[in-house]
Amino acid sequence: MAPVPDSPILALENVSVHFEGLKALNDVSFSVSSGEIVGLIGPNGAGKTTAFNVACGFVKPNGGRVRFPSAGRSNLKPSQLARAGVARTLQGVGLFPHCSVLENVMAGGHVRRSGGFFTGFLSLPNGVRAERGLRNDALAMLDRLGVAEMADRLPSAIPYGTAKKVAVARALMCDPTLLMLDEPASGLDEAELEEFAALILELRVTMGVLLVEHDMEFVMPLVDRLVVLNFGEVIAMGTPGEVRENDAVVAAYLGVDE
Amino acid sequence: MVVNSSQRRMSITAMAVVLSAIASFSFGSSTRVAVALSAFLTLLATGAAIFTTPGLRSSHPVVVRAALTITTVDVVLFATYFFPANTNTNLATGAAMSIVLLGLSFLTGASGQISLGNGAFMGVGAFAMAIWANHHATSPIVVGLLVAIVSGALVGLLLGLPATRLRGPYLAGMTLAFAVAFAAILSSFNSWTGGDSGLQLPTAATPPHWLLGFFDSGTSLLTTNSMWLADIAIVVTGVAFFFMANLFASRTGRAMRLIRDNDVAAELVGVSLPRGRVVAFVVSSAYAALGGALSTLIDNAVSPSTYSFALSITILSLIVIGGIGTIPGALIGGIVYAYSNSVITWITNQTGLNPQGNLASQLNGIIFGGLLIVTMLFAPLGISGTARHLWRTRRRRTPR
Repeated sequence: MAPVPDSPILALENVSVHFEGLKALNDVSFSVSSGEIVGLIGPNGAGKTTAFNVACGFVKPNGGRVRFPSAGRSNLKPSQLARAGVARTLQGVGLFPHCSVLENVMAGGHVRRSGGFFTGFLSLPNGVRAERGLRNDALAMLDRLGVAEMADRLPSAIPYGTAKKVAVARALMCDPTLLMLDEPASGLDEAELEEFAALILELRVTMGVLLVEHDMEFVMPLVDRLVVLNFGEVIAMGTPGEVRENDAVVAAYLGVDE
Repeated sequence: MVVNSSQRRMSITAMAVVLSAIASFSFGSSTRVAVALSAFLTLLATGAAIFTTPGLRSSHPVVVRAALTITTVDVVLFATYFFPANTNTNLATGAAMSIVLLGLSFLTGASGQISLGNGAFMGVGAFAMAIWANHHATSPIVVGLLVAIVSGALVGLLLGLPATRLRGPYLAGMTLAFAVAFAAILSSFNSWTGGDSGLQLPTAATPPHWLLGFFDSGTSLLTTNSMWLADIAIVVTGVAFFFMANLFASRTGRAMRLIRDNDVAAELVGVSLPRGRVVAFVVSSAYAALGGALSTLIDNAVSPSTYSFALSITILSLIVIGGIGTIPGALIGGIVYAYSNSVITWITNQTGLNPQGNLASQLNGIIFGGLLIVTMLFAPLGISGTARHLWRTRRRRTPR
């Protein structure tokens, strides 16, 4: 029941990345469209994280392009992503450790204009109003993810699974059209995994989701499409069913498991 | 209709104001003292009413912040009327230093950058104030202070732009270089800065004649002037703290904390790291310069030897002791600075360690260093940070 992928939000086009002679990515192309969940998988060192980092502008491609067709932009810097509607979570939880949970989620709405330096310095009414609105929206977002009672805690004082939800809440605060999740399943227990999968399926309605993941039991039933990397190259692409049958994938990756 | 608590508070305030006005007019020997007294009581009553109104803190944080500032400034101003001259001078010195510390608290505590050059930025403001006053003897004090702020901000921008590419020890190294080079820079502009002997202000700061009624109630000129300077320093400090508190609570302040905590994640939510770092650097230099300008005003002179590298280290130690990244920490650091000399002199006199009275300045460094070590070992968040931490953990343990 996945919609037809007609308008890609993110498109990697023939992207290559070398680290001093080591080919981390070689001629990689794939895209993510609104309403679909795409999983990026591959054995350790296949280049999944590099592909993520290229898409985010942390790593500059040596060849090829990273396009954001719906935003009309390409090769964005990390600090321009949120404004272009791209949100990303980091491996682990990646929260701001000395800021409260509420402040962490408010941080996700940083791109909303609420005045610059002098608005804050002078505490002008428009800035104060915008901050209050942001605060309320952040509380509502925490409530939506069922973790509102944690708002005043520090990230170190909440359970790991909850912290991952807070990270997603932060990502959603910029009203993204593309959500990039870096290993969302790691460290979660059975019940939390189910909750997380349900959440991603719910989010998919309004945005595209790209995720890097090791946990096949989590990925396979969840995603619409898989992109399989090995040694920096795309070795297979397709639905989970197609990929499972693919000989190259079985040899490179899934075969190891059996 | 039920009268809500805030309306009740407001009417109590109004009553208090009227009563205090009547009281002060019947007590007062002169009209001016009566006006001052009733103004003091009015502000106190208004502040108290605002603090005790529930919910105002979250609905109108600026009003509460302003009330806290005005009431505190009000009380301290009132106290200076009764203080002896040396207490008022100490107070003014501490207030000026607390502004410098506030800037560093923002830079290092909120944005996570280290500066070893804030003594030199303080010197920029101090000299800007002195040079301006020598060329425009009649210009009001506030203009001189503004000139100092702008000079500090400009020099901060000049150094801050390349500093955006530097992190941690490299940035510290660059600011250290500026602090060390500052004396040489000053002496190469001898005709402006007065060389090694520095500059005198053309006139001592005295209260304007229309305000004299408040200040000269039969006391000496020294008392009058030290009170006037303390009052200027306190008002300026109040304004500086109010705006910094705004900044800490604003979007910009949050962006600083995000950069400090996790710069990768900060970029991903749309914070521009170079811009944030420059802004923090410029704010901190401007605040340091303002503190320096006040020091010039208090000393009525400026000397290059004051703004040595040692001062930058003292500034860093003071904010670590007070509580880095906090606003009250800057105030605590300022108080420690203002009274450290008197306390040390008192200790040496009491213990008979110092019969000639010349050991105090040397003991200063030892006791300061000791205080810093004790802070780092037992309260790494500083006095204010530790107090806040204790209060928070205690509140969490108490069942609601």
